[in-house]
Amino acid sequence: MSTPSTTAAAPAACWSCAAATGGAHFCAACGKIQPLPPGADYFAFFGLPKKLTLDPAELEQKFHSLSWKLHPDNFVRASEAERELSLERSSQLNDAYRTLRDPVGRVEYLLGLAGMRKEGQHKQQAPPELLEEVFELNESLDALREARQSDGGSGEMKGIMAKLEAAQHKFESSLADVDQELARVSGEWDQALDSGADAASRNKLMERMNEILNRRSYIRNLVNSVRQELAGTWPVVRGS
Amino acid sequence: MGRTVGIDLGTTFSLIAYQSKRDGQPVCIPGPYGTTLCPSVVSVDADGSIVAGEPARRRLLTQPDRTIYSVKRLMGRGPADVQDELKIFPFRIDPASKNVIRVRLGDRIFTSPEISAFILRELRSWAEQFFQDTVDRAVITVPAYFNDAQRQATRDAGRLAGLEVLRLVNEPTAAALAYGLHEKKRGRVAVYDFGGGTFDISILKLISTTEGDIYQVLSTNGDTHLGGDDIDNLLLGAAREEIRGQGTDLAGHPEAVQELRKALIAAKHELSTSDKTAIKFALPGGGIYFREISRRELDQWIRPIIERTMAPVRQALADAKLKPEEIEEVVLVGGSTRIPLVRSTVEQFFGRRPHAELNPDEVVALGAAVQAAILEGGVKDMLLLDVTPLSLGIETMGGVVAKIIPRNSTVPASAQELFTTGVENQTGIDIHVLQGERELAKDCRSLARFQLKVPPGPAGLARIEVKFLIDASGILQVSARDLHTEKEHSIEVQPSYGLDDAEVERILEESITFAEQDFAERQLIEARNEAEIILAAAQKSLAREQAEASSEFPAEERKAIEDAVAALREAGAGADYKRIRALVDVLNQATTPLAERMMNRALATALAGKRLEEV
Repeated sequence: MSTPSTTAAAPAACWSCAAATGGAHFCAACGKIQPLPPGADYFAFFGLPKKLTLDPAELEQKFHSLSWKLHPDNFVRASEAERELSLERSSQLNDAYRTLRDPVGRVEYLLGLAGMRKEGQHKQQAPPELLEEVFELNESLDALREARQSDGGSGEMKGIMAKLEAAQHKFESSLADVDQELARVSGEWDQALDSGADAASRNKLMERMNEILNRRSYIRNLVNSVRQELAGTWPVVRGS
Repeated sequence: MGRTVGIDLGTTFSLIAYQSKRDGQPVCIPGPYGTTLCPSVVSVDADGSIVAGEPARRRLLTQPDRTIYSVKRLMGRGPADVQDELKIFPFRIDPASKNVIRVRLGDRIFTSPEISAFILRELRSWAEQFFQDTVDRAVITVPAYFNDAQRQATRDAGRLAGLEVLRLVNEPTAAALAYGLHEKKRGRVAVYDFGGGTFDISILKLISTTEGDIYQVLSTNGDTHLGGDDIDNLLLGAAREEIRGQGTDLAGHPEAVQELRKALIAAKHELSTSDKTAIKFALPGGGIYFREISRRELDQWIRPIIERTMAPVRQALADAKLKPEEIEEVVLVGGSTRIPLVRSTVEQFFGRRPHAELNPDEVVALGAAVQAAILEGGVKDMLLLDVTPLSLGIETMGGVVAKIIPRNSTVPASAQELFTTGVENQTGIDIHVLQGERELAKDCRSLARFQLKVPPGPAGLARIEVKFLIDASGILQVSARDLHTEKEHSIEVQPSYGLDDAEVERILEESITFAEQDFAERQLIEARNEAEIILAAAQKSLAREQAEASSEFPAEERKAIEDAVAALREAGAGADYKRIRALVDVLNQATTPLAERMMNRALATALAGKRLEEV
């Protein structure tokens, strides 16, 4: 049960005039919009190498210039086949831009392509360097719930809130640290590609990035949950 | 092939516009009543004939149970969704409504797209009269925060009105397009669109490229059930309460409630330019409700409603990763932005004076006309990149929603998901598609359910790729492919709310029997309806004046009225609608002094603290 190899191996030929297209958005011979070649990825869509450091302005400029060409607005009077292709291509363009313009989304996508994106086995486990903070946070959250139930005095509430706010700062700065680390390893990945590093060392880099992503998603959840608790607490504090 | 137009299908008013080929400027087309605003009101006569627009609005006062306004609030919604609105809107929902709301008008029943289609037909007839040519294609605007079901309902309305809907465009984006053309602006723009029934905020970036100008929406947010309507209902509730305090309950008087609503709306409008105004309202049992309102008092009442618009504004900015001071232009759209408190609230938040150079009622329709010209190939140097307002997700284990396309993604947008079987010999995989930001399926909007059929086999063998695609109108398309056979997998998507294609077809066929009265015929019906209304009113006033104040009633004035009545009756029996209209005006003029005297008398007695019947 495998996909017929002929489809994947067939050289891309224009559906309209049969000229070779080389996977381009439009046929060079007749100008018709082309379907996506099988296996085309977001990097290839923009004509970019699979590198993780991107100039956002340059990417945006490519996005705009392709939007002019591929958007369904240009195909209202075209044949149904071309309208369909425009819809497919322009949605792919938007999906690709949305993914690649975000440095984290970029790494996730790259690892996904290589089959290297794996959720942590112990998703619920805190990274060791944060164990103490997470422990403290849980204590503060418990205290907060207790204080809410017993309608605790505003003084007690204030103390808990201050702790939560401190926790929020701490986790937000951890998140910034992780993002920096990810950017650093992303840079190493680009260098490895440039220097033609072997598959083993590339895999190692991808494993490192995968581990960072897992840590990042844990910290992000922490930041979000503290944020939610703080937001939900405001009216109680003001009302008391 | 006929003409292409842009249509703003609004909660309170609708408009139709086109882009002039001569100077490239968009223009709104006026109707037979001398205004470009077509009231979004539909009324069904006792004989089953239907009117929309101004004549329907007049019937709101005489035949409220056969007339409907603000139908946009019902688009794409199910009966359970609108329970709150039923408390304040006089919608008569057919109890048999299931996933599509059906409304009773007189003895006929309609879905909300059908009712909207009558408004679209009315507008279409304006444009056809104007061009002396058929109009068969349109760009229609929708609130940016409309979900898939609401968008589909709008597209269905267009089809039912005999229009090919080339695109649905978000209202604030359309406004930005009209403004950009007008002002040649660049940079980051916030469009604050507060209309009759909906509120939208969109943050855009206007970019110049070598190919032309790109209008890129960065984020959008809103509330599809928040508008000037809510202010009107608030005022109406307060006034009814005060009237009850005077000993009159309006509960059994729908006509009087509509009169009062009209008077309050007029007062609201007045307070946009004056510091105070007064309402004089004749009560059904005799007596009068007189009330002065200051702008300060109005502001106090409506502040909570205006505040409700600010949470979406903050969210939209956060999603665009911008601070208020990074917005370079603020544009106000929608009739409710004429309210001074709205302007000052927005100005304070952004720290800059908002733009309101273009008529806030017309600007959306003008933008729709520009987009229509773009799609027709007439404008090649403008491109609109809009976003989907709500995240798209599918239900997974435990009723949790997995988001597959995040909100504020540029459209068209797509996502592929791979599905397989979980147990041996499973023959189908159920898929539930939702829209919304909440974690659980029960808190999101159900869009559709469908089942992927698979041949029996071991668990995990089937591999079916489902593609979810949101098109440039913000409407979802679903397709599926069997990865083993590389074949398209057929699926039948059942919309959770709204009409399926077969139903639209059925309504279309049925409507042909009612259809397409020609222009003159429709004018005649409308003129006769108008005549009927004013004749009844004149008759009533005549009788009342005879009984109550015959000594003050000059004989020549009475004769003039009676002559005008007779002439209008005679004309009404004929088929010349222009003559009927002219005689309606004559009768109107003849009764003006009488109406003034009656109002003054009522007012004088009310101010003296006496009830009319005691005089």
